[in-house]
Amino acid sequence: MQPILTAQDRENLVSPLFKFDRQFWMTIAALLVVTLPGLVLYVRQLFLGLGVTDLNRPVFWGAYLVNFIFLIGISMAGTVISAVLHLLHVEWRRPITRIAESLTVFGLMTAGLQIIMDMGRPDRLINTLLYGRLQAPLMWDIASLTLYLLTASFALYLQLLPDIAFMRDSTPANAPTWRKKLYSTLSLGWRGNKEQWARLEKAITAVSVILIPIGVSLHTVTSWLFSTTVQPGWKSTILGPYFVVGAIYSGMGLLFIAVAFATQYNHHLKGYITDTFYKNLGWIFIVMSFVWFYFTLNETLVVTTEQETLEFPVMAAKLFGEFAPAFWGMNLLMVATTWILIALKLSAKPRKNPLFKTATGVVMTVLAVVTFLALALNFPALSEPFVELGLLIAFIVFFILALLGLTGWFQAHLIPSTVIASAFVLFGMWLERWNILMPTLTHARIIPYTTYFPTVTEIALTISTFGILTLIFVVFYKFFPSVSIWEVEAGRAVEMKNGG
Amino acid sequence: MNFPMEKPLFQFFYWLVNTPGIGSVVIGLLVGAAVTIFFLTLRWIVSAKNESEEALPFPPQH
Repeated sequence: MQPILTAQDRENLVSPLFKFDRQFWMTIAALLVVTLPGLVLYVRQLFLGLGVTDLNRPVFWGAYLVNFIFLIGISMAGTVISAVLHLLHVEWRRPITRIAESLTVFGLMTAGLQIIMDMGRPDRLINTLLYGRLQAPLMWDIASLTLYLLTASFALYLQLLPDIAFMRDSTPANAPTWRKKLYSTLSLGWRGNKEQWARLEKAITAVSVILIPIGVSLHTVTSWLFSTTVQPGWKSTILGPYFVVGAIYSGMGLLFIAVAFATQYNHHLKGYITDTFYKNLGWIFIVMSFVWFYFTLNETLVVTTEQETLEFPVMAAKLFGEFAPAFWGMNLLMVATTWILIALKLSAKPRKNPLFKTATGVVMTVLAVVTFLALALNFPALSEPFVELGLLIAFIVFFILALLGLTGWFQAHLIPSTVIASAFVLFGMWLERWNILMPTLTHARIIPYTTYFPTVTEIALTISTFGILTLIFVVFYKFFPSVSIWEVEAGRAVEMKNGG
Repeated sequence: MNFPMEKPLFQFFYWLVNTPGIGSVVIGLLVGAAVTIFFLTLRWIVSAKNESEEALPFPPQH
């Protein structure tokens, strides 16, 4: 069997891995600048204790745990894309499989960091193992997370194995010796004979089947940390599937952003990751947004209408209390996302004055943001009932006009629009996790009211976390191809076989 | 009806879920089993021999 990849393909996919150019070092420097302040403040937290955060009874979980759930959620992308689409033999998945699987591993690694950050005494982490009891949902979460991280790492490694061997055989002569040794060791002597390929394919299929229930179990068990308590707002049977849906939704958002980032970083990848990926996965993204709205409506409607003594104050805090900006902000971001995604699927009509309409859309967006902030910040001068109503009506009008004005721009820019929608989903889903945790913790049973707002330490560590996630992503893809070389070849072989 | 704690099976379950340290033993077993399975799978894949040792760049299409 002859290789299908051309010399140009090899140049596009392999050469950038050996070029440590200015762009690479600038990216690393920028990420270090983002990450370092948080690390310094973490050392300070280690010395001074959790008093430097706003964590206290009953708010014993804050921004760190919000980040933990969010990062666990985004790790679902790999499972869905890689495992499900692999089992369904979806061909367009091939170029993005690697990125999807690596996001799972990196997401879980950074999620684990949040637990350590959340502990005032991380040296006591060992106590959870020494004295951990099986009845504790925290132990189920540790079990599930460890198993998911191991299995996802194994799936990534299996998928990488032929490409590591390819790198071993294609390393330029002037590459450092340690790098040659690295590929040689990690390739495990892979030769790529027919039987090896047959066994590798069987193993990848088996791991894909195993990954799906483990992934679902992790997101469900994480929700059980809350729903197995008697706290108002948490003791809900819907929380498990709600977490799974949110995880898939946010995971897809991160995948779109990561793929766009990778193709922007290495322009040659655009020849492999085409618009087909954005268009096809966009459909699943739309479906997930509706499923997410269904769950959110379910949870909100039932608690609001039953008006149970302890549950309702938590919901009221979200609907029109101190958490209203986060709750409505989340919903508005999701509405905007759904509109953008649907607009991309509608056939674009030739428009008169497109520039004028886009400019109007931008102005309306600015006005919508300003009126939303005016409502959210609750200035005394604007809190008169009629002024507030007027602002609300103005906001709704601006919001609708902003979406309508920008529709044409969205339709003409598939990838930037998908990235914007994905960023909205990521921010919206972070707010969703915030809205699940904080209203309950500040309106807990027995202690009915308290406040919480992340301190500089917590905010800096949150920023650091995302810096670390991006840093791992950038460094990893300086050593391994971000597009699976053998998957691309196999995809082309399938196309040729089908007469494409 | 009282919970049937007098039955040995339930006494065992009670011991299983309430004894400190048992949780980590179970996690250890799970992790150990997973790592062993993954290691054996990798060994099974790379040890595959073929009559023809022709190196294929991608899996043969069926």
